[in-house]
Amino acid sequence: MATTTATLTLSSADLLTDTLAFTTTATLTTAGTSTGLSQTSGLARTTTSYASSGVIESTNLYRSDDATASGANKVYLKNLSTTPAEYFTVFIDQEEMGRLYAGDWAFFPWSATSGTKETFIMTVGGTWVAGETLEFDGVLTVAANTTVADIATQVDAQHFPNWTTTVSGAAVTFTARKAQDAGTVVTATADMVIVQSGGSDATAVVSSAAMGTATESDIMIIPSVHTSMTLEHMLINE
Amino acid sequence: MATTTATISLSSDLLSDSMSVSADTTCMKAGTTADGLDMMDYGYIDVATGDEYDILDANNSGLNTNKANKVYLANHSTDETFYITVAIDGAIGRLYAGDWMFIPWGCVDQHDDIEIQAYGGTNTVCYALFHEGRTLTAS
Repeated sequence: MATTTATLTLSSADLLTDTLAFTTTATLTTAGTSTGLSQTSGLARTTTSYASSGVIESTNLYRSDDATASGANKVYLKNLSTTPAEYFTVFIDQEEMGRLYAGDWAFFPWSATSGTKETFIMTVGGTWVAGETLEFDGVLTVAANTTVADIATQVDAQHFPNWTTTVSGAAVTFTARKAQDAGTVVTATADMVIVQSGGSDATAVVSSAAMGTATESDIMIIPSVHTSMTLEHMLINE
Repeated sequence: MATTTATISLSSDLLSDSMSVSADTTCMKAGTTADGLDMMDYGYIDVATGDEYDILDANNSGLNTNKANKVYLANHSTDETFYITVAIDGAIGRLYAGDWMFIPWGCVDQHDDIEIQAYGGTNTVCYALFHEGRTLTAS
């Protein structure tokens, strides 16, 4: 089991009449247990930079899908800027947490409340001819034979950039890699392209589609200036 | 001015190589290097399970918005199943027994209270707010 500790030391000789000095150490464990957190994004740096005339956009630092929802996940952020007036505004979903000025750091728990992922089932049907193709999400599957279950297995073996798959007989269940509210599931049917041979009635019927819902606690940052700013960050999660 | 420093040390054997991260900051007023945060609120409270409080009230705080305020929260409970949820309008995360957090607090509008709710049992919570001062309400 991994042991990760986070120690905070707060000190001041002149903020109060008495000296302020306290230290607290947390051993980072999974929710409700004494088992250490076992995953991390590793320490990383993200630099933001925008054209002087452009709009400063937010950067999605961690998606809720990246960690266990309602877990004891922890996030570390540090603004590496040395210009005092430069800051990153930190948001969780749409809510502003605060401004991280030059040199400031933050460490906080993260619920990672995710949305749901869009799913749909595609059933390979009709009569296929070897060599006919089915294209979806930019991935082309060429039917190796005429058996619909075999073609479904071929589809399942592909690596779709935006979807994961499972297969049962001739039915392939697609699940979006990321939760989002796309507003419709029609896109899935529209993007499924079959190139048939003459006289073939090959089909790939989409059914049981369920729309996803948006994530609720992505961590986003917005720099205060167009010029280059760098944030150091790390996610330690379940 | 007051000089208050906050230092974090993170260490772990989670990776193949040892991880050791340390960062410190002197808590300054927004956009300055010469004037430190010079006001502090501090508290230590028990929160019964199910109870929900604004532990720091944005609406009545009198704090100036969008400053470099810092908030420290620690859950001093010892039962590992105890936790508090922490939210600023929306959920931030769960602070389990022994955990702490240190964040900037923009206190942008009346909805930006720092809210906690206790679960599992009576949680003992320590909090501190470092800020630039506030406008006090006349009685």
